[in-house]
Amino acid sequence: MTDVFQLLVAGLSIGSIYAMAAIGFVLLWQTSNTINFAQGEFVVLPAFVMVLFLTVFRFPFAAAFVATVIVSTLLLGLLVKKVLVERLLKMGVLPLVIATIGLSMLIRYSLQQFWTPLALPFPAIFSRQPIRVGGVIFSSEEVMNVLSAAIVIGTLQLLIRRTKLGWAMQAVAQNRDLASVLGINVSRLVGVTFMLNAALTAVAAVLIAPVYLVKYDIGIGIGLKAFYAAIIGGFNQIRGALLGGLLVGLVETYSAAYISNQFRDAFALVILIGVLLLKPEGLLGIKEEWA
Amino acid sequence: MALLEVHDLHAGYGKMEILHGITLKVEPGQIVSIIGPNGAGKSTVFKSIFGLLPVRQGRVLFAGEEVTNRSPEALLRQGMTFVPQGRNVFPLMTVEENLLLGAYIRKRSPELLEEVQRVYETFPILREKRTARAGDLSGGQQQMLEMGRSLLLQPKLILLDEPTLGLAPLVFKEIFRIIEGLRQRGQTILMVEQNAAKALEISDYAYVLELGKNRYEGSGEAIRNDERVKRLYLGR
Ligand SMILES: Nc1ncnc2c1ncn2[C@@H]1O[C@H](COP(=O)(O)OP(=O)(O)O)[C@@H](O)[C@H]1O
Ligand SMILES: [Mg+2]
Repeated sequence: MTDVFQLLVAGLSIGSIYAMAAIGFVLLWQTSNTINFAQGEFVVLPAFVMVLFLTVFRFPFAAAFVATVIVSTLLLGLLVKKVLVERLLKMGVLPLVIATIGLSMLIRYSLQQFWTPLALPFPAIFSRQPIRVGGVIFSSEEVMNVLSAAIVIGTLQLLIRRTKLGWAMQAVAQNRDLASVLGINVSRLVGVTFMLNAALTAVAAVLIAPVYLVKYDIGIGIGLKAFYAAIIGGFNQIRGALLGGLLVGLVETYSAAYISNQFRDAFALVILIGVLLLKPEGLLGIKEEWA
Repeated sequence: MALLEVHDLHAGYGKMEILHGITLKVEPGQIVSIIGPNGAGKSTVFKSIFGLLPVRQGRVLFAGEEVTNRSPEALLRQGMTFVPQGRNVFPLMTVEENLLLGAYIRKRSPELLEEVQRVYETFPILREKRTARAGDLSGGQQQMLEMGRSLLLQPKLILLDEPTLGLAPLVFKEIFRIIEGLRQRGQTILMVEQNAAKALEISDYAYVLELGKNRYEGSGEAIRNDERVKRLYLGR
């Protein structure tokens, strides 16, 4: 019985990281109709950047983290928006989707070729001291991961619900043409969303790196799971992406422990297919009949 | 001096030119109608005046200033608002949030909240539904929301594109009653309306467009009684 609880925290820990990637993914889709198949690499690249700041430039941890978020925001946010999105979005959704697949390979194999094909160690951020509650032992790293993700996601939700910027994001997501008619600069807003997404994936990177190590190809799995999470929860809902991310993390953790570690990745897919069959708009999704 | 002057406006989509030189004028306090068959380019005129579609040739003057190809934001600041054709709300936001987004370019202020109250006086149904999701409103209520939203900035000119499209007869009457109410308050409106006969009844002046060109113009009364216009567009 105790492992049920331990696994719960472990599942929520990895799930909350998937959730961050999934939320960014949904934000990009909502404001710019970009399906970002490079989302996994958007998590991997900042992890490498963080290693660079820590080991080559010898920054202290906090400074390296801030620098990583800034670099990610500029590179994966601003630059990608200016160079890819601005040019390709005019031509419809598909060219941009294909471009993001290309971008994911570019990032992945550049890291492999020009940096290292090996897994780099990453320092633990939080103490690995176990916490004992009643008879159950939790990893404090996992608990801290969940808390950090909760803070980041909570702040983002506040931003979206309470600030003018957030209102504009909702407006663009719900009716882009009308947003322009009311004087919202849609292009600038798309840029801001890309930057927010890149900041989110940078945080996810720093949280996941101690768990998975830093390797050029871990983005494949992370990106896929963020994608599953978004579809399971509902592509048009941030809350949906959160739920989907946690669900994918839990399913993967429990099935690895109780059913088969080898097929751990298959179970999220089973949930995905189930949701698509029974509730295609996602668990919290809203049917877009008005669109 | 005219509030809005459009001279020889050319615009289109891609390689296709749709407007081949449209000229029109709106005096302060007037209701001016643009009529013409479907596809004549009426909505395109609005989009190019409002900075949503590039003007390729010609000029737009608003309140004495050249505003050709200005952004919607700049035009909103100068006192022009636009209610596009079709249902245009943010479906998942409440009625009140939708209204407030009409003043997105402004800071949230006590005056703005007063203005919201004024809109509620003009459209009591909006006050009643203020916490409902805009997507759950009926077609007529959505149209009222859109008109209310366009009033929030106290515009000098409203561009109103097909306000009664697809509405039931009773709601249709209600919308026209509201437009006449606005006119009595001195609101200047440039509008397109598929029920041309009804629109001409309340219009000071009207332009008839055909295939992206001016065809006829005159007072609402004169156009309504013009035999050629009657035969072609009024279906009588
Ligand atoms: N977004 C668009 N892209 C390409 N062609 C368009 C677009 N919108 C309208 N058109 C074309 O422009 C012409 C005028 O359309 P529109 O201005 O909507 O006419 P109206 O409002 O008078 O019915 C039509 O032939 C229409 O097919
Ligand atoms: Mg039209």
